[in-house]
Amino acid sequence: MRLIVHNMLTCNIKGVINKFPLRIEAEKVIKKEVDFNPDFLRHMLAKIEWKALVDGARSMGYTELPVHAPALESDEPFLRKFHHALLELNLEEGSLVCQESGRKFPVEKGVPNMLLHEDEV
Amino acid sequence: MRDVKVKANPKSTHQEDSPSVKSTPEIEKKYVHRVYDAIAPHFSSTRYAKWPRVAAFLESLPSGSVILDAGCGNGKYLGLNPNCFFIGCDISSPLIRICSEKGQEVVVADAVNLPYREGFGDAAISIAVLHHLSTEERRTSAVNELVRVVKPGGFVLITVWAAEQEDESLLTKWTPLSPKYVEEWVGPGSPMDSPRVRNNPCFGLESIPESDVSVKEEKDKDSVEMSHQQEYFVPWHLPYHRAEVSGASASALASGLAKKDDKKGAVVYNRYYHVFSEGELERLASGVGNAMVVDRFYDKSNWCIVLQKEALNQG
Repeated sequence: MRLIVHNMLTCNIKGVINKFPLRIEAEKVIKKEVDFNPDFLRHMLAKIEWKALVDGARSMGYTELPVHAPALESDEPFLRKFHHALLELNLEEGSLVCQESGRKFPVEKGVPNMLLHEDEV
Repeated sequence: MRDVKVKANPKSTHQEDSPSVKSTPEIEKKYVHRVYDAIAPHFSSTRYAKWPRVAAFLESLPSGSVILDAGCGNGKYLGLNPNCFFIGCDISSPLIRICSEKGQEVVVADAVNLPYREGFGDAAISIAVLHHLSTEERRTSAVNELVRVVKPGGFVLITVWAAEQEDESLLTKWTPLSPKYVEEWVGPGSPMDSPRVRNNPCFGLESIPESDVSVKEEKDKDSVEMSHQQEYFVPWHLPYHRAEVSGASASALASGLAKKDDKKGAVVYNRYYHVFSEGELERLASGVGNAMVVDRFYDKSNWCIVLQKEALNQG
């Protein structure tokens, strides 16, 4: 699971209000190189919830992201860091934790399992 | 026409009291989820041909689009447009494993209740998924989810199997849903005297205890009308050598979920389908308040629509 997906994932347990973002408990993180595409990154900047990305990256061991996205989107050093955090960090094993309910969604072999139990629906 | 009155389930008479639409009914657990889990690799090996209409839709999307595939199966369409970023989900872990082994970004999730925040996707697709949902409420919920997760102005493509099949001989291989499954798929709290059940001569009364039923009129069982039949079991033949590898078939056979066909050398599973009649998908989609149908077509025995989510109000 990469942070681009984590930035979208929510906890859908009935009654939970604070469903996003999920806190990452990382057990195994691997880095996989991805081609740098500044246009795509700029497109993603509009979608990304920045604090969730920064916190998620930190949980995966990457602390280089600025606390705020800079005003100048064409700043290449920034885009490189954004690229690395968004697309090159892979959570292979760990959990995504709902901040409100504490429910842990497992991530195994890079795949989050977001299915709810009968009593959570 | 039979007019059937059945004792309403005392537990619930209102929509609000009935089990959540997001709860999976038994018939889907048994005849969709368990089946796909058991047949996943074999199923995947037969799913490689890219449907031109779906490919065209995906290729029409702008570069850099984030495309959400809800019910992605073996991930056939993930990555089809190399300029876009695909995120797939499916309820079947074995199918999702096949996707992730191909390097795709995927999640195990339920299309009726997507664990996604609103408006993240640029587009979404639902290819041959909604026909596995056994109630109109769940199908509606799935359509609403697809619209919810795309951005304002985003497009959604939905395809489903049509009741009107181009190859009508296929229908002879399908089993129209028999009454003993009605209770399961209708579910507790969903009244059996819904218009669909009442007016459908295919639903006999064999499984309903006599004390609960008052039959107003007799109907000649031989004149059962098949043209309104939309609920089917469609067989899947899992070759024995595949079944052994999967391992799930032993318990499926033991529990009666699957049968052996020695002549074909296969374990036969049944998949539940609600096939869509002409106009039904459009009616379902038109119910979504903040999206418009922008295209509709019939192709290769599937009904298809494209929706566009309302753009944000300007000013």
